[in-house]
Amino acid sequence: MRRILVSALLLIAVIATACAPATVAPAAQPAVTSTAVPAAAPTSATAPQGNSELPEVNPLEVKGDIIAAGSSTVFPLSERMAVRFKDEGYSGNITIDSIGSGAGLERFCKAGETDIANASRAIKSSEVESCQFIGREPVEIRVGTDALAVVVSKQNTFVQSVTREQLAKLFSDAATKWSDVDPSWPNENILRFIPGTDSGTFDYFVEDILGKDKARALSAANQQLSEDDNVLVQGVLGSPYAIGYFGYAYYAENADKLNALSIEGVAPTAETVDQGTYPLARPLFMYTTAKILQEKPQVAAFVSFYLAHVNEEITAVGYFPASEADLSAARQAVLAALSN
Amino acid sequence: MPNHAIEITSGPRLLDATQGVARTSLGRRRRPAEGLIQGFLFVCGAISILTTVGIVFVLGKESLLFFASPEVDLARFFTGTTWQPAIGQFGILPLINATLMTSMMAMVVAIPLGLCVAVYLSEYASLRARGILKPILEVLAGVPTVVYGYFALSAMTPLLRSILGPNTVDIYNTASAGIVMGILILPLVSSMSEDALSAVPRSLREAAYGLGATKLETALKVVLPAALSGIAAALIVAISRAVGETMIVAIAAGAGPNLTLNPFKAAETMTGHIVRISGGDLSYDSIDYNSIFAIGLMLFLITLGLNVLSRQIVRRFREVYD
Repeated sequence: MRRILVSALLLIAVIATACAPATVAPAAQPAVTSTAVPAAAPTSATAPQGNSELPEVNPLEVKGDIIAAGSSTVFPLSERMAVRFKDEGYSGNITIDSIGSGAGLERFCKAGETDIANASRAIKSSEVESCQFIGREPVEIRVGTDALAVVVSKQNTFVQSVTREQLAKLFSDAATKWSDVDPSWPNENILRFIPGTDSGTFDYFVEDILGKDKARALSAANQQLSEDDNVLVQGVLGSPYAIGYFGYAYYAENADKLNALSIEGVAPTAETVDQGTYPLARPLFMYTTAKILQEKPQVAAFVSFYLAHVNEEITAVGYFPASEADLSAARQAVLAALSN
Repeated sequence: MPNHAIEITSGPRLLDATQGVARTSLGRRRRPAEGLIQGFLFVCGAISILTTVGIVFVLGKESLLFFASPEVDLARFFTGTTWQPAIGQFGILPLINATLMTSMMAMVVAIPLGLCVAVYLSEYASLRARGILKPILEVLAGVPTVVYGYFALSAMTPLLRSILGPNTVDIYNTASAGIVMGILILPLVSSMSEDALSAVPRSLREAAYGLGATKLETALKVVLPAALSGIAAALIVAISRAVGETMIVAIAAGAGPNLTLNPFKAAETMTGHIVRISGGDLSYDSIDYNSIFAIGLMLFLITLGLNVLSRQIVRRFREVYD
């Protein structure tokens, strides 16, 4: 008996400690940092020249820290560029906080404590005003495009294309069965798999399709939410009556098992996203100011490096390259900021 | 006197070491190393107690913030049927319901199987069979739970779906998670119950045989009732293990707080929800963040209650032989 008691108590302790880490684990806040000491050779990295192309950057010669914060969608891309910047010799610290576009712009425009704000939407006029209020004139730098894919399993044979209205019904409390959305669809429950409420993808979808009405999105029946896109992929694969949405990258990885639906007759492809005809595509931006670019050569160097090499990395992250016109406009903007 | 007892048991060893010289100082001599070891052991014990106190403190503090917030209504917290912190819906019932469903399912698997294994091991198995079987069974308990989770998702769920049809069984469902969790706690049940059965004195069995009872009658009517308190304690510890189990349900049970009694539908347990929410980029000041501590506190209270109950049962129904 005593042995049982002892082992019972031991188990209690084990359970208590096993439960604990999960409950006290802080919300993840990924950041890229390094503790490397800045190298010598303090020379200004970017000297603006007369031509329209940004000067070549030598990361070895850049020192000083860079602080960026914002969109969780831009984060993987910026992180990748930061890692490459470091690999090529940059020895300072780059901190990138993944806190969402709105929070990132708030830190940039209100607190004025970051050098770069990452955003998966264009800056709002109210945000520009608060930026100007603290003497910051934001410079917009387009870095790429993200597209949302609405997917069903390949076993699903009844739906290839949906309208925006149908999407709104498919992902809200307005419909429970497929036949509620379109009478020609089967009388089966819609099994929904959507990104979690902390994700920018969820925010974007709710804003674009459901008129910012989170309650409608979250009251839908038979709905699974996960920050882990693989959970969503698994879920959609599980039934012909399942539907989900997530970043195009995850669809691309599973294109052999999943079908991406056309929205308003437009399928998500590199061309339709590039032309801006696919409705669920959104631009990815970085914001900084002319003053920061001039005063902090490391930020100017990072931005120039970013714009020079972003197209070599962006497809690996799962996004679409911005059009050449947008990219060169961004280069022009940086160049102009540096030269005045 | 416990001190006295310690001195006596350590006596012979002392004699060996110091060749009888110590005999005169037996129980008297001060040994500084002994004090050091005692101090060290005390610190070890204290650390685990302090950790527990710290956990309770953090849980209490953060959940107090949650319950004190104006958006939270205590009555709605316990009776509401929707849990969606993002839109201010805090009804914990769907989470508790899913936790209870997976735990029940686990016990449905683990109790009968575990008891049969325990009876076999303690009453029927030859020494050799026991020596082979018991360690193998305990290996089951050593498998990382994340492996069980993927086993549930990629083996148990397809099995259930092939038997009951893919339209009845969702890809994420509480039944599959619960069954696999039952396999996980099976060694716990069988091993603790077997200990309880083995602790029943041999004289009881011999008396039963002497009265003409068969082996099965002896096992079921004499040994099992005699070990009941130990078995009940084992079962309750197993339940609280099931309630606190995280990885399996996080992977296989589902990721949406649905209130459903259908074990083949997806639902999210308390532990599963905590894992999912703390995995996202949640800001520290938000009510969502505090809400996971409130769930943690509820979990803690449930397991604590179960453990207190198991101690009570052991104390009350304990049968003392010898």
